[in-house]
Amino acid sequence: MSGYALSTLFILLVLSVTLTNEKSSFGILKGTGTHFIIYIPTNTSCCVNCNNEDSKGSLVAEGVNTIMLTSDLIDSVKKIKGVRDAAPYLLYRLHESKYSADISLGGIDMNSIATTNNVCAKTNLVAGKFLSDKPDELVAEESFAMAHNLAVGDTLKAYGGRFLLAGIINSGIKPGKADVYAPIGNVRRILRDDLKCISPGFDMNIILVEVSDSRIQSQVISQLKDKMKYFTISSYNCYQPASEVMTIIEKGSTLLIVLIFIFLLIFTTKTQLTSLMERSREIGILKSLGWSNTRLCNQIILISLIQALIGVALGILTGLLIILLMNSNQIRLFNLVEFNFRIRVIPVLIALSLIGGLMAGILPIIKLYRTKAGDMINNYM
Amino acid sequence: MSDYKIECISLCMEYLSKNQRVNALEDINLHINKNDTILLKGRSGAGKSTLLNLMCGLIKPTSGKVIIDNICINELPDDRLSNLLSEKIGIIFQSFNLLPTYTVYENIEIAIVPKGFKVSLVKEYIMSYLEKFNLKDKAYLLPTELSVGQQQKIAIIRTLIKQPSIIFADEPTGSVDEETAGEILTHLVNFKKENGVTLVIATHGNISEEFADRIYTIENGRIKTEPL
Repeated sequence: MSGYALSTLFILLVLSVTLTNEKSSFGILKGTGTHFIIYIPTNTSCCVNCNNEDSKGSLVAEGVNTIMLTSDLIDSVKKIKGVRDAAPYLLYRLHESKYSADISLGGIDMNSIATTNNVCAKTNLVAGKFLSDKPDELVAEESFAMAHNLAVGDTLKAYGGRFLLAGIINSGIKPGKADVYAPIGNVRRILRDDLKCISPGFDMNIILVEVSDSRIQSQVISQLKDKMKYFTISSYNCYQPASEVMTIIEKGSTLLIVLIFIFLLIFTTKTQLTSLMERSREIGILKSLGWSNTRLCNQIILISLIQALIGVALGILTGLLIILLMNSNQIRLFNLVEFNFRIRVIPVLIALSLIGGLMAGILPIIKLYRTKAGDMINNYM
Repeated sequence: MSDYKIECISLCMEYLSKNQRVNALEDINLHINKNDTILLKGRSGAGKSTLLNLMCGLIKPTSGKVIIDNICINELPDDRLSNLLSEKIGIIFQSFNLLPTYTVYENIEIAIVPKGFKVSLVKEYIMSYLEKFNLKDKAYLLPTELSVGQQQKIAIIRTLIKQPSIIFADEPTGSVDEETAGEILTHLVNFKKENGVTLVIATHGNISEEFADRIYTIENGRIKTEPL
């Protein structure tokens, strides 16, 4: 019984740490490097109408010119297994003599996780407010705003129009980073109607992709490469170390649980065997009185299962008590990981313990069948 | 078909002791009629207990056969042997073999569990036997709280309560005083009269030969004398 209780306690504590891990570090790692962008590079440096002075800008991605894409591609990308989200992105760069600089304008789909991780999000806001659907609003990257002495509320004259700087953001290092951002619908309108730069139906030049788990990122990229041969896929590759670390954590936890389960089996089988040896005289007497092997087996299994159940109950209660004590005193593993009791592990623990109980009963039953009553009474086993 | 209740045919039993083969029994041939009382006499270590254990199927012979009611019990599957042990055979052990953690009542109860008696009748039945042996007040004591004689009586009740048709008794009076021995033998004889059982008793000589229909003497694992 103590074997079941100890094993349950260990498994419970390991699971409580692993589950917390999944929520915190594992969760962070799982979401690390799960995004990338895809586009088709080209050597054409201007948009559709190259004669127009205002359309001397170009559609770019990572410093290279790109061609326009149709929006149906988004659905094709979303259908690929492992893709969590895909969003259109329009990145246009134009030299503005007023600022003596190339200014890149990003048109974003604001409700997409792929946009959040590849370009920017409301959470990156450092001043002002984030984008709304108003046609004349922009947000600027903090570095761009500082370089050109722009503040929230200023007017930016660019792209053949005047825009209100609604907010300033700092999006960090992102593959789709631009100088200023506007909702994609607004950017499409500017490029199509004002700059005559894109044709109707061609809605984006970059697809932003978010994968569900960094461990399957390389598989998703392979599938994309197979389906869309002309595309360039650009990722920061930070999913690879994250994926490795996660695999190590996951395999480590599984190995630990397997080892504890093996310990449970060996310990309880040994205990059952010892108990059978100790009780062999009793069992021999019962056999001599006409108790059948089947009846005795049922007894051994029943006792084994009862021991397993009592053991698992004691283990769970002790584990729960330890977790509650540690959490109430804010004791954390390595000062980082919190122990977290989850109800859903209880059926797993009960199942493991019962399997252990059944398996631990098998050897004694084999012994029981192979030994005659007289030998058991005389302990010749 | 044989008319004998119990037959031992060329029965041999060897065992290993300190890596040496020891012949516990050699070429035993016995034929026991229904309702006979047999005395197996011999000194300690002669092989009486081994023969009894072989005859009731508690151990397997090295060679030879034991036939009870025309059934070779050495070849019986375990569950059929269990059935035979619960229905037909009663064993009284030399060392009583009472379970020390069970009460007197429970020690008797375990003998009738395989027979599937009605629970409501079991208590009355057990108590009636305890009363016959003047042990009713000891029902809920542990065997260790009883005298040796009382323990032996409990062991005998445990055997008789099954209503067997064959009783193997290994030194049933070996550890008790004369008075208790007389009581025990009276109970056995009465039971035999009432129920018509075949009784095989192993003894080193403290049971009067007048009880026996036949007497066999065992010496060094062999039957020395022919039945009287």
